[in-house]
This record gives sequence, structure tokens and C-alpha cells, in this order.
Amino acid sequence: MAVIEVKGITKSFQIERSKIKVLEDVSFSVGEEFLCVVGPSGCGKSTLLRIIAGLEGPDSGEVLFRGQPLTAPTPRVTMVFQLFGLLPWKTALENVEVALEAQGIEKGARAEIAKSYLRMVGLEGFENTYPHDLSGGMKQRVGIARALALRPDVLLMDEPFSSLDELTAKALRSLTLEIWADPSLPTNTFIMVSHNVEEAVFMADRVIVMSPRPGRVIGEVRVDIPRPRVRYLRDPMYFKYIDEVVGILERGK
Amino acid sequence: MGKRREATAFAVGLAAIVVAHWLVMSFYGNPEAPSLPYYTFRTLLRIAATLGLSVAWGLSFGLLASTRRIASIVLIPLVDVLQSVPILGYFPFIILFFISLFHGGEIGVELSAIFLLFTSMAWSIFFGVVGAVKGIPANVAEAARGFGLKGFGYMRHVVLPAIAPALVSGATLAWCDGWFFMIAAEYVVYLGTAYSVPGLGSYLAKAAYVYKDLNLSAMLLALITAMVLYINFLTWHRLMERATGGTYKPILRMGLSGLGKLKLRAAGPRWLRLGNRIHRPKSFILMPKWAKRYTGLERAVAALASFSLALLTIYFAAGRIPSAEAFREAFSDPELLNLPLYIALTLGRLGIAYAISFSIALGMGVLAAENKKFASIFYPIYDVGQAVPILALFPALFLSLSQSLGERLGLEIAAILILILDMIWYMFLNIVGAVKNIPSEVREVGRLFGFKGLKRITHIIVPAILPAIVTGSILSWGTGWNTIIFAEYMPYEAGGPGGRPLALPGLGSYLDRAGYLPPPEGNPIRLLFLLGLMSAIVLAMEGLLWRRLLRKFERYRVEV
Repeated sequence: MAVIEVKGITKSFQIERSKIKVLEDVSFSVGEEFLCVVGPSGCGKSTLLRIIAGLEGPDSGEVLFRGQPLTAPTPRVTMVFQLFGLLPWKTALENVEVALEAQGIEKGARAEIAKSYLRMVGLEGFENTYPHDLSGGMKQRVGIARALALRPDVLLMDEPFSSLDELTAKALRSLTLEIWADPSLPTNTFIMVSHNVEEAVFMADRVIVMSPRPGRVIGEVRVDIPRPRVRYLRDPMYFKYIDEVVGILERGK
Repeated sequence: MGKRREATAFAVGLAAIVVAHWLVMSFYGNPEAPSLPYYTFRTLLRIAATLGLSVAWGLSFGLLASTRRIASIVLIPLVDVLQSVPILGYFPFIILFFISLFHGGEIGVELSAIFLLFTSMAWSIFFGVVGAVKGIPANVAEAARGFGLKGFGYMRHVVLPAIAPALVSGATLAWCDGWFFMIAAEYVVYLGTAYSVPGLGSYLAKAAYVYKDLNLSAMLLALITAMVLYINFLTWHRLMERATGGTYKPILRMGLSGLGKLKLRAAGPRWLRLGNRIHRPKSFILMPKWAKRYTGLERAVAALASFSLALLTIYFAAGRIPSAEAFREAFSDPELLNLPLYIALTLGRLGIAYAISFSIALGMGVLAAENKKFASIFYPIYDVGQAVPILALFPALFLSLSQSLGERLGLEIAAILILILDMIWYMFLNIVGAVKNIPSEVREVGRLFGFKGLKRITHIIVPAILPAIVTGSILSWGTGWNTIIFAEYMPYEAGGPGGRPLALPGLGSYLDRAGYLPPPEGNPIRLLFLLGLMSAIVLAMEGLLWRRLLRKFERYRVEV
């Protein structure tokens, strides 16, 4: 059964006096898998993700989560932000705790849970550091820990590595895939938005390709490279998938 | 708004103001009523001239302070001190200086009025410019350098576009400040003599203090408010739109949006061409030459020397050569024993006004952050409100309050009300700016993790605007100290003509009496001492309280 179903989403924004259509009749469904959505800048990928998160409402169409309409944020679908979205006035630990606090988890348990998730993302020893003093990669680790601490079913990632340097991004990609594969976590559906085709092919089971604005689904590529895929980064199979996605993107222009 | 509607609004507004003038002129039975249009003209001219002066000064010194390290070491602290020291207190010296320079002529009074207006208008422009230049993103500055853009070219294509929005918003603030202080600047009673320059402010002051005519005061106040609104509507809003690309953005972010609007990208090829022509850095025209030739230490010394020289001049202009006798006389006043009480009373007034304006501004800011509908109603009110010249309200407010509450209580309440109305706009400006500036990701985090109601306010909204609250507090206390000098003392003849001016017990009025009354109450040495005392309190508060808070909250600033 599909975990998330996106049905006929259309969305426009009013900018000054002109109406700009960013999404047009977008439909797809996601099961327990790693899905990547790629598309050119401004094609509405991030808006789509925000609609799935319940942060914005579509003009028409709907998002179903396990068959139920999703219209407001829920702890079972959480998000990792491009610019981390950390609260600068809270330490790493408090930033994770804040998500738990909002769910009504009592104080004593909060710190323990938050600590264990910070440990999971490799931030042991940085619990009391403020975002201001963390590197970009470390900030995103906090962002991931915060999202996971709620034990969501679905993790949405909005270009999570695009503001990091390549080495850091690489390390975080592996971390993300480990988390996805971790049987102790209930989070088995990942939807990641990216404009980096290599990244999408490296990580995803399925890549959905979107057109320039207004964003429509113009293609879908199932990536059948065995995991762990690090072994196949020099393999012609890897490049074949990349070329296929790039081909769809080129045709969609 | 369409061109046609704009033209209609322009014509209707102008007609309304002209008709209002004509009505007051022809039908109001006051001996000065026929001169009203002339007064309006003079006040407009005065404020416009001072604005020009302030922009020229703010731009040149702001650029200097933000582009030259040494200048910034000297200038920024100096202007910082000047703007936090209540300038209104220096006014007796200033007026005496200009009056004796021009032998009591009208030019002297006019110049002192302009000087006072200048001290109330110039700071926001200066700091706006400094802030905008410092806010030029490093990548833009580096890109410009990479294209070989230096000196004047750099100023023209990077610095000036970046500061244009700050300049416009700073000038808007200055324009409002000008209308705000006009009444204090145009009418001064010094040593028993009223010095006034023809203008709306002095007419309003006379209506309240001399004619004691509540109707006339209220009418003039309404007229002034309407005119300020009209002029703001015509000029500043359009300028603001032009400078920010049609969107109303908080001042903090304007520097960036301005860059895009003024076609930075399109300027790239032009930079290349220019870069080939410009080989040596050229000095920026507005930068004073002396500032470039001196070494840093010399410049610091020069700044200090000119500052103390100015003080000395003022002192000698006051006609007193400091002798032991003069000092003994200055400090023999038995009232000096009341000083701790006076300080406490004045601090109390400011504290009450601050607490009230802080809670209102915070409440409004949070409401605006939480509720879009409220924001869409509140922002225009806020825009209008900050344009109302509140100090001009003082005489009318006092006159009406004193009729029902008696003179003393009336003045007490009028003073606190004026302080609130004065302080609140700085809190608003900063809080509203910060609220609009909360990055969407932070808002989304709050929503995503289910923060609602009070939790959302305490965890997300308030921390995000804390740095702005501190900045707003610094500014509002700064303006509060200045205004209290005006608010605790009325150049109003209590109990009929020839009566003593009405004063509330407090540091501000004690200072006023030392400045404006004939000896032995008036005493320049005591005035200087009280001014120094007040400045010391202001600076101590800033150093001990605000700076610390600012440093503490610095890491709260959301990086975008």
C-alpha cells in the first residue's frame, strides 16, 4: 500500500499582480522506498515537498498519507531543510528536544531521546553547542536528528546537501542511506528533492523527473543498482541511469 | 496604484490643505491666523533644508565611517555618543551661541532651529548608510574587486546602489523626526525671552502657551498631521517602493534587495569596461580630503580636539570663564540635594513609558507575526502612526488634560503619554522589521513540529526578535532621554502672564531650569554638570545593560 499518494496537485503563487503557476497536475505515489524528485531550479520541487509536509495547501488535488488526506503537519511526516532550519537560540540538544517537546513528551525522557539521536548522527559531545558554532555539515546532522527523533514514517528532505561542500555532502549521503536501511527505525519512506542528478541516482530507488515551471511529472526512472552503491560509482550502469535522467530533463525544456 | 488615481489623490490632498489654510486664515479670530500659509512655507523649507543637510552629512560621514577603518574607529563611537546624549539639553548653549554670533538677529534663531533639527534628523541616516555598506555581501564585494572595480567605480556601482534603500528609509525616519522636533526647535524661551522663528511649530506652541487656545492648537495639530501624511504619501512611499522593488521589506534586508533591483547583474559588463579604464583607486567625491591625508592617530586626535573645541566655544559663548567662584556658585544650589530624587523620578517616568510601549509593541509585533489578517490591517496603521508628529501633540494634550486634571497632574500625564508615543515607534520599527524578517524555514520548523499558541510565541517568535528588541530598546531609551527634557518642562506661564514656567520635579526639568531661566536658577556650569550627569546615566545604561544583552543575543541572529 502506498504510504504517500500525491493526487493531481496544482499550485499557483500570487507575486505582485501576476499569478505564477508552479505546479500543474502532479501525481505519483510512494511506498516504502527512497524516492528522489529532480527538476530544474524553480520547477516547484520545494513547494511540492511543502505541500506533502502539510505546510502549504494545494489549489487543487490532495495528498494522502496511508489513505487519509494530509492537510496539516503531522509528526509522522517530518522534514529536513535546505538551510537546516535550526533555531539559533537553542543548542544542538535543545533543537532536537524542541521537536519532542511540541509532541508533549515529558522533560526527563526528552533529553535522553534527543541525546541518542544526536549520537546516531555522530554529534556526541556537541550537545551543548549552539548552531552558530557548528559547521554546515554538523548543522544538517542536527536537522536530521531532529526529524528522526519523532520516529516518523516519512522523511522529507529539501535539497538537504546542496549548501554543503562535496566531501561533507558525501558523508551525509552515506549517513542518510544508513539511516534509511536501519531496521530499528520506523522511517522507511524517504522523499528527497534535489537538482543533482548524480546524487539522485546514487541514492534513490526511483527518480521522478519534473519539467520547468509549471512543474509537471515528465518521467520516472527506476534505479536498479544493487546497494551499497559506492561500489558502482565507476560502473557504466551508474552512468546509464544518469544519462537517462538527464535525457528526460533535456527533453522537458 | 494607477497614475491617474495618484494624480487625483495628489490634487485632492493639495486642495484640502489649501482649503484648510484658507478657512483658518479667513475665519479664525486669532491675530496670527492670516500668516498661516507663510508659516507653513517656512516650516516646510526649514525641514527640507535640514533634511538636505542631514543627507549630505549622513552620506559622507557614513561612507567615511564604513569604508575607512580608522574613521570608523573614531566616528562610529563619536556619533554613537552624540546620538545617545540628549542633544535637546545643549540647546541653550546653541541658541546663545548663534544669537550672540548674529547679535540677536533672526538668522541666529533660524540657524539654531536648523541645528537642533539636524541633531534630531542626522543619526538615522548615518547609521543606515553604515549598516548598508557593512551589509554588502562579501561575495558581491569580491566579485566587484575581481572585475577590477575600485574607488569611484566601486562606489557608484556597488556601494551607492546598496545604500540607496537605507538612505531612503533613513531619510524617511529623519523627515518624521524633523516634524517631530520642529515644535521644540521653533519656539524656545531663554532667560525669560521667547525666541521663535516663523513656522507651524512656533505658532502651535504660541497657541498653547501664549493664547492658551485649545481649539486653535487642535486645529493646527490636525493640519500638521494631515500635511505630514500627505507629504509622506506623495514622496516617501513612492521612493520606498522604487528603492525596494515594490515590496516593503525591513530595513535590515533592504541592502540586499536593493542590489538586485538596481540591476547588479546587468552592470557586470559595464564593470569590465570600467575596470579597464580605472587603474588607480580614485577618491570618492563626498569623502573629505582631510580624512585621507591624516594618519589614524592624527584623525582621532583631530576628532577629539574639534569636539572639545566645540564644547569650549559653546562654553565661552555662554559668557562665563570658569573660576573657582563660579563653580562655588554653581554648586551652592540647595536643590542639588534633591538630585537623587530627581533622577529616580525621571527614571521612573521613562521606565513606565518604556514598559508600556514595550508591551504594546511586542504584543502588536507578535500578533502581526501570527495573524496575516491582523498584519494587513496593522501595517498601514503603523505606517501612518509613525508619521504623526507627536511632540506637536504635547501642547494640545497638556492644555486639554490640564483643564480637567489641573496643571501639575495634567503635565505629569501628558509627559508620560508623550514619552510612550515617542518611544513606541522605535520598538515597533525594530520588532515589526524583525517579525517580517523571520526566515520562512524557522516559521516552517515551528509549524512542522506542531508548536501552537503560547509555545510557538515563546519558542519561535520571541527568541527570533530578541536582538531587535534590544536594538529597539536602545533607540527608544535614547529618544526618551531627549524627549524628557522637553516633556518635564513647559515654557507656559502658569497662572497667567508673567507666571513661572511649569515644571515637573525631575532631572530633565532641573536641567531646563539651569539652561533657560535667569540666574541664580539658570547657571551654565550647573547645566553642563547636569548634562554630563545625564549622559553618564545614558552611557552607563547602554554599557552595563544594552550592550551586554546585545552581545548575548548576537548568536540568536538567524543566519540566512
